[in-house]
Amino acid sequence: MFLASLVLVVSTALFFFYFQAVCQRILRRKFDQEYFQAIVNANRLEFPVIRKTLEEYEAPVDYPRVCMTLKCDYLALTYLLKNAANVNQRYSREELLLILYFKAVFFSLVARHWLRLRENPAILKLTAVLQFFANVIGQRVNLVRFGNLSASDYLLNL
Amino acid sequence: MSDPEKAGAFCVSTGLPELEYFSVAIQYGVYLLEAGLLLFMAVRRRAGRLMPVFLYLGLLLAVDGISRPYVLYRYGYSSRQFAYFYWLTDAFLALGAFLLVCAFFRRACRHEQKMWRFIRLLLTFVFTLTLLISVFSISSHYDDFLGAFNVEFQQNLYFTCLVLNTMLYILMQQIRSWDDELTLLVCGMGIQFAGPAANFALVHLTSGQDYASSLYVYLAPLTTLGMLLTWFYALARVPQPSAIRTGQAPVRVLAPAVSREV
Repeated sequence: MFLASLVLVVSTALFFFYFQAVCQRILRRKFDQEYFQAIVNANRLEFPVIRKTLEEYEAPVDYPRVCMTLKCDYLALTYLLKNAANVNQRYSREELLLILYFKAVFFSLVARHWLRLRENPAILKLTAVLQFFANVIGQRVNLVRFGNLSASDYLLNL
Repeated sequence: MSDPEKAGAFCVSTGLPELEYFSVAIQYGVYLLEAGLLLFMAVRRRAGRLMPVFLYLGLLLAVDGISRPYVLYRYGYSSRQFAYFYWLTDAFLALGAFLLVCAFFRRACRHEQKMWRFIRLLLTFVFTLTLLISVFSISSHYDDFLGAFNVEFQQNLYFTCLVLNTMLYILMQQIRSWDDELTLLVCGMGIQFAGPAANFALVHLTSGQDYASSLYVYLAPLTTLGMLLTWFYALARVPQPSAIRTGQAPVRVLAPAVSREV
């Protein structure tokens, strides 16, 4: 009984650990330039500010505001992922996996808040996912031309 | 799970016909992905460099995609023949997975010969220990030799593989391995081992309750699907470091190329 319980707990924990490891590997992919900046500017996204605040000042977070900001940025970016310069109008498998990962980490953020644990690591992970999404969109937009429109103009016209 | 007929039912039946369609759909997805990945490796000439992965995938397709459906078609899923065949091939696959983890260890330690000698001994010891424990467990199920042995053996082997796989992952972090492809292959294996290991433990804890057994019908192909997708990503998308040779000595570590298309 004890051994079976141990195997159950260890295996379940390792399952999530490997899931997270795969997502972190995908997020480590380097882009040839920082495409996300144009997307952030065009859509007035706020996740880079949150990340900078956490990394540089390690200030305590305003939980409801951060949650709302991350959620709004997530919705905007997932919409753009699906619709901006995407001929198929659907997410790739990699994006679907990261969407799942974002939701899981967001759930863990809520749990951390209720358990009064440190929320910063979860928030940083969420901003990393959002930055990856913004980079993917930026790279896509950069690859195609839209007449005389710049990437930011194109996104504003969507 | 000692009765092979029960074991056979545990393998394939959920009891709910509509849910079985879902399970069958996942299963066919797995077959397609196995075949696709094998083809991809052959066409892109990755089979030579990743021979252990190629062989394991070939074994998986031969067992899971060809021979099992044939035996199922011929004898039916409640038959004793199918139950025996299922558990026997499952043990065979677990053994193949163990050897694949050994091959991953070999690749991770290719520049650390001293470490590899130690790990080789450790792997042999772990395998022998697992085999001995499994054989010892037969003594308590002497009347049901084949079914009990197979279930016990593959459970032990799967959990051992999971622990070894995690050791390998930690080792790669310790030696700061630059091999992203191997890391993803190891993560894929981890997903494949962790799901069924947890499910087997749940079945034991609930004394073989229906819901725990039924979960296996989805969990096993889903984790295999997870592993195959991770491997596909590792082979298709992860940039490969290029090896160059300088005048005096070969350069061992090069930063991988950074730019990839979306």
